[in-house]
Amino acid sequence: MRCIRCRATANVEVRRHRSAFCAACYPGWFRTQVERTIEAEGMFSREQRVLVAISGGKDSLALWHSLLELGYQADGMYIRLGIGNYSQHSQGASERFAAKHGLKLHQVDLKEEYGFVVPQLRNQREGKPCAACGTVKRYHFNKVAVDLGYDVVATGHNLDDEAATLFGNVIHWQTDFLGRQGPVLESTHPKLARKVKPLYRLAERDTAAYAVIERIEYILEECPMAVGAKSLEYKDALNALEERQPGLKHRFLVGFLRNGRKAIAVDGAVEIRECRECGQPTTGEVCSYCRMRERKRRQVEARQGGRPRAG
Amino acid sequence: MKVTILPARESREVDAGDVGQLLKVLKLHQDAYLVIRSDEILTRDVRLRSTDEVEVWPVISGGSA
Repeated sequence: MRCIRCRATANVEVRRHRSAFCAACYPGWFRTQVERTIEAEGMFSREQRVLVAISGGKDSLALWHSLLELGYQADGMYIRLGIGNYSQHSQGASERFAAKHGLKLHQVDLKEEYGFVVPQLRNQREGKPCAACGTVKRYHFNKVAVDLGYDVVATGHNLDDEAATLFGNVIHWQTDFLGRQGPVLESTHPKLARKVKPLYRLAERDTAAYAVIERIEYILEECPMAVGAKSLEYKDALNALEERQPGLKHRFLVGFLRNGRKAIAVDGAVEIRECRECGQPTTGEVCSYCRMRERKRRQVEARQGGRPRAG
Repeated sequence: MKVTILPARESREVDAGDVGQLLKVLKLHQDAYLVIRSDEILTRDVRLRSTDEVEVWPVISGGSA
């Protein structure tokens, strides 16, 4: 296979585009895709300050790297989730990347600052904390972005993430989520940061190849809490289809964003108010983050109250 | 050839003529893995020799972002 740009031996095939690139031409192609997406969706400009949500994985570090190469003002933010060795490794990868490139990395430590860790948030029915972990991340990325005056929060969600989320929302007909899914989530409240996904048209394989070629040291291991997660099953099902029909994931997602979302989105803005407990934006009286923490606090109290007393 | 599958670094001896065939033998989706030889990513048409040593890197991550 030959590079479509210079005819050298190719290293990365992008089957959905019927293209292939050598290691020298690939990073330029990747960054052009990122820049086109940012411009086409009006995500942000080079004058604005971007807070990149960093996990230590390939997507967030590839995003941060490409934004800097493209000349955007991007700082990082990492949340210490307290997931044993996995968190230690991901924190190390994030800190080393920031140090190597002389970048600012904000950090929030859940245990030290808030008194809990993500494994404590396991759902009692499913035994997984993934949904609660998502709530924690969205809450803190938003809070830090607003508190420190960033114009936008950028996450490393890629084509596979977005197609799998869409697949799951369609299977369960989560029409409220379907109406909101997209590469840009506008701010509808002064305390709600604008959120964007500049990698949403690039596949996971594309971001991994970019990280390998650019010698970005990222954590390869999977979050131990996510083993058996539904999102992984959806990705596996979509990859089985993509194997026979290259471009299927792209058509599924982009087709939905062009045609499907409009038909599902509900007219009229949802009223946003400030949480009675923490003051962060929410649609209810108390935000999902505070409700989740209160629920866990009660569970802990109930367990402690149920223990037989010594003596 | 010697194949090392990451992240667990599980090693196996596999007979395959090219990268595409290797992934088929291992029953792995080509969109979910990178095949790497001597720090170079290989496309699916690259011929493999019995003396080659390659690594298979997963690219899929899960959970809630």
